[in-house]
Amino acid sequence: MLSSFTRKYLANKVVWLYIFAGGLVLGTTLLGLLESSVTIPIPTILHIVSEKIFGIAWLSDVPKNVEMIIWNIRLPRVLLALCVGASLALAGAAFQGLLRNPLADPYTIGVSSGAALGAVFVIFFQLTIIGLGSYTLPVVAIVSGLITLFAVFGLVRLSSRSLAIETIILAGIIISAFIGALTSLIISLGDQDSMTQIIYWLYGSVAMRGWSHVQLIIPFMIVGSFILFIHYRELNALALGEEAADHIGVNVKRGKLFILIGASLLTGAAVAVSGTIGFVGLVIPHLVRLVTGPNHKHVLPLSMLVGGAFLILADLLSRTIVAPSELPIGVITGLIGAPIFAILLVKERISGRG
Amino acid sequence: MIKMKNLVGGYKNTPIIKGLDLEIEQGEFFALLGPNGSGKTTLFKLITGQLPIQEGEILLSGKEIASYSKFEKARKVSVLTQEIQISFDYTVEEIISLGRYPHQKGVLKQLSKADQKIIVDVMEKTKISHYRHTPFRMISGGEKQRVLLAKALAQEPEILLLDEPTNHLDIKYTFQILDLLKEQQQETGLTVLAILHDLNVASLYANRIGLLEKGKLLEVGRVDVLRKEEQLKKVYDVEVKTQSHPSVPKPQLLMTPGHMITEHPIDFYNSYKIVKNSTYIHVQFDQALRTVSNGVIGEGIQWLNHFCNFHVDKHYNCSNPKKDLQDWMNMYNIPHEQAVGMMTAVNLDDMVMETREIEGIPMMIIITAGVGNAIDITNEYVANPSIQIGTINTMLFMDAHFTDGALVNGYMSATEAKVKALQDLQVKDPESNTIATGTSTDALLLGLTQQGERTPYAGSGTVVGKGIGQMVYHATKKAVKKYLKRVQR
Repeated sequence: MLSSFTRKYLANKVVWLYIFAGGLVLGTTLLGLLESSVTIPIPTILHIVSEKIFGIAWLSDVPKNVEMIIWNIRLPRVLLALCVGASLALAGAAFQGLLRNPLADPYTIGVSSGAALGAVFVIFFQLTIIGLGSYTLPVVAIVSGLITLFAVFGLVRLSSRSLAIETIILAGIIISAFIGALTSLIISLGDQDSMTQIIYWLYGSVAMRGWSHVQLIIPFMIVGSFILFIHYRELNALALGEEAADHIGVNVKRGKLFILIGASLLTGAAVAVSGTIGFVGLVIPHLVRLVTGPNHKHVLPLSMLVGGAFLILADLLSRTIVAPSELPIGVITGLIGAPIFAILLVKERISGRG
Repeated sequence: MIKMKNLVGGYKNTPIIKGLDLEIEQGEFFALLGPNGSGKTTLFKLITGQLPIQEGEILLSGKEIASYSKFEKARKVSVLTQEIQISFDYTVEEIISLGRYPHQKGVLKQLSKADQKIIVDVMEKTKISHYRHTPFRMISGGEKQRVLLAKALAQEPEILLLDEPTNHLDIKYTFQILDLLKEQQQETGLTVLAILHDLNVASLYANRIGLLEKGKLLEVGRVDVLRKEEQLKKVYDVEVKTQSHPSVPKPQLLMTPGHMITEHPIDFYNSYKIVKNSTYIHVQFDQALRTVSNGVIGEGIQWLNHFCNFHVDKHYNCSNPKKDLQDWMNMYNIPHEQAVGMMTAVNLDDMVMETREIEGIPMMIIITAGVGNAIDITNEYVANPSIQIGTINTMLFMDAHFTDGALVNGYMSATEAKVKALQDLQVKDPESNTIATGTSTDALLLGLTQQGERTPYAGSGTVVGKGIGQMVYHATKKAVKKYLKRVQR
C-alpha cells in the first residue's frame, strides 16, 4: 500500500516538474519576445505569432515594423537561444553521465573550442562543402568537435589509465590552448574588421542570427537528442562503472560511441550557430539532478527544457543589462557558471571521488 | 553448467591461464583459491568476456560462451565484485533496478510490473527494503555490498560470479553476505563461482574448491583439499597448520608467521610465581604454556598463563561451576580467559609440590588429593555424579617441547601413574570394595614451555614419559597419604 502510494506521489512529482519546466520555457519565451528596447504588448505578440504559424489573426492594423521586429528579429533570436541552451544542457548531462562526473561539460572538456575552430575556419575562409551548402558550418563544427574530443581522450589515455575527470579537464585545457592558438592564428591573418567580428562571435551570442541559424541547428538537435534519449538506460548503467555496466549486459563500447556522437552533434551545432557559450551544460544538469535525482530518464529531457529557458533568460539579461549596447551571452553564462564550477570542484574533492 | 576445456587466455602474448580444465555443476558453490597472480581474476575475465580466450573453450550450458549475446549472457550470469564506486546520488532502488536491464523489452524499455516485483523481492531477501530511497553513497560498505548483491540477484542469473566480494568487509558483513549467498544457492539452485581470498571462509561455505597456481589448477575437490598442509605451504609459501573447526566438520587453517618472536629462553625455575592460601592455589607463568587439561575452565589444548585450583566447601552447589570460577578469578584479578581453573574440597594445606629434573628436563608438580570419592572405573554400577569431598587435582609443568600428539601421550602417562599410586596405597572403591582407579572428578593438566627440541612421543616407552610417570606417582602417593592422615584425625 505504502509503496504504491509513494510511487504515485513520485510519478506525480515528476509530472509536475515537467509541467513546471514546460511553463518555464513558455514564460521565458514570451518574456524574451516582450522585453527589449521597444516594448510590444503581449496580445500583439501572440497575434503575430499565431498569424504566422496558424494563420489565425484577430487584430487589425498591426504595424509592419512591429511584425518585423517580432517575427524576423526577436522570435528567431529567442528560439535560437532556446535551441542552443537545450542542446548544450543536454550535451552536458550526457558527458557527465558518460564520464561519471558532474564537472564534465562541452566547454570544460574542450569540445566547444574544437567546434569553434571548425566554425571559425568555415566562416573566415567562407568555405562551402559541395552538397552541404549552408550546413557546411554546423557539419564542420561537429566534426572538428568530435576530433577534438578524441584528441582529448587520446591524451588522457596516454597519461593515465583511468578516465579521471581531473585528467580530462587538464587535457581539455591543453587541447583548448592549442586550438585557441590556431584560432588566433587564423584570425590574425585577416583584417581588423573581421578580427573584431570573429572575436565577438567567439564570446558567444545569439544576436543578429535570424531564421537561417535556427534552421541550421534544429536537425542536429533533433537527431542528437534522439540518440541520447534512447540511451538513457545505458547512461544510468554507466554510473556503476564500465566494467559493472558490461556485467549487466550493456554494450559499453557501442553505447559510449553513440553517446559521444549524440553529444558532439548537439555541441557542434550549438557552437556553429552561437559561438562558444560556456558552462550551460555544467550548471543546468546539476540543478536538475538536485531536484529529480540522477535518473537520466528525467535528467535528459528536463535539462533540455531548463537549459533552453536558462539561455533565453541569459540572452535577455545580456541585451538589457547594459542597454542600449549588448553583452556577449557567453559573458553572462561564464559569470554564473565559473563560480558554480569552482563550488562543484571543491564539493567533489571533499566528498572523495565519485 | 560451466565447463572449461584446455583453456588458455589472458593478455596478448602472455597467457595467464595456461591450459585449464574445470567443470562446475549446477547448484554448487565453487570457490577458486590461489595466491595473487595465480590467474583467478584472469579466469574470471575470460568468463565475463573482458579478456580474449586464446585456446580451448568455455561452455555455458553446453554452448560456447562467446556465442551468447550480451543480453542473453547477462540473463544467465551476473557478477559481484569488490565494492564499486557509483557516481551521482542514485538511490538504492535505482541501483537495484539496473539489474533488470537485460530483461527489459519493448521500445520504451520501461520497468514492467513484473520487474518491479522482482526488485521488491530481492530487496526483501537481502534485507535492504528500508534503504530503498536512501542514496547509495550514504550507506556503509557492508550495506553497499548487500545492495550490489541484490542488483546481481535482480538479474535472475543461473550463475553468480563473485570476485572477492567480501574483501573489504568486516566479519559481520562477510558472514552476512555469504550466508545470503548460501541461502540462495540452497533454495533456488543458484550456481556460485567465487574467488575468495580467505581460505577459512572458503572452507566454511564452498562445496568444492579449486586451487590455482601459475595459471593451472593444482587440485580440485572437496574442501578437505585444504588439509594438505604441504601443498598449501608450497603454493602460498606460508607455514600453515590445518585444524578442524570446533563445531563444523570443516578444515580451518592456522598460519605461522615467518619470523617467530624468539624470546629469551625461559629459566624454568624462575619463570613462575605461586600464591597459595586457604582459598586457592594460583600458579602464574611469565609466558604462556602449551597446555592440555580437563579443567572446569581452560579445557582442551591451549596456550595459557594462569593455573588455579580453588577450594570449595564440601556442600558446594555445583550447578554452575564455570561461572563461579570466573567470578572468583575476577575477584582475585586473575584473567580467566588465560587460565585453567580446577576445584577441590580438599584442604589446600595438604597440597604437595615437588620440583625435579628428570633426564635434563626440569619439572614441577602440584597436587591436591582426596579419595573419599574413589572409584574403580571398571565397576558396573553407576557412580553418584555429584561432587563429594575427594578429588585428585594434578598440575604438571615441564620445560619441554611437545607436539599435540605428545601432549595426549603425556596425559596417558600421567593417568597411568596416578592409577598405579592408588593401587600401591590400596585405595578402594567403597561401593565395590575393589582397588580404585581414581576419583569421580579428577582433574589433570600438563603445561609445557615448548622450549628445546620437539618431542613427538611421551608414552611410557620414552624418557620423558617415564619422567612424567615418576613425578605423578610420587606426588600422588604423598598427597593421598597426607589426606588419609587428616581424615584419620
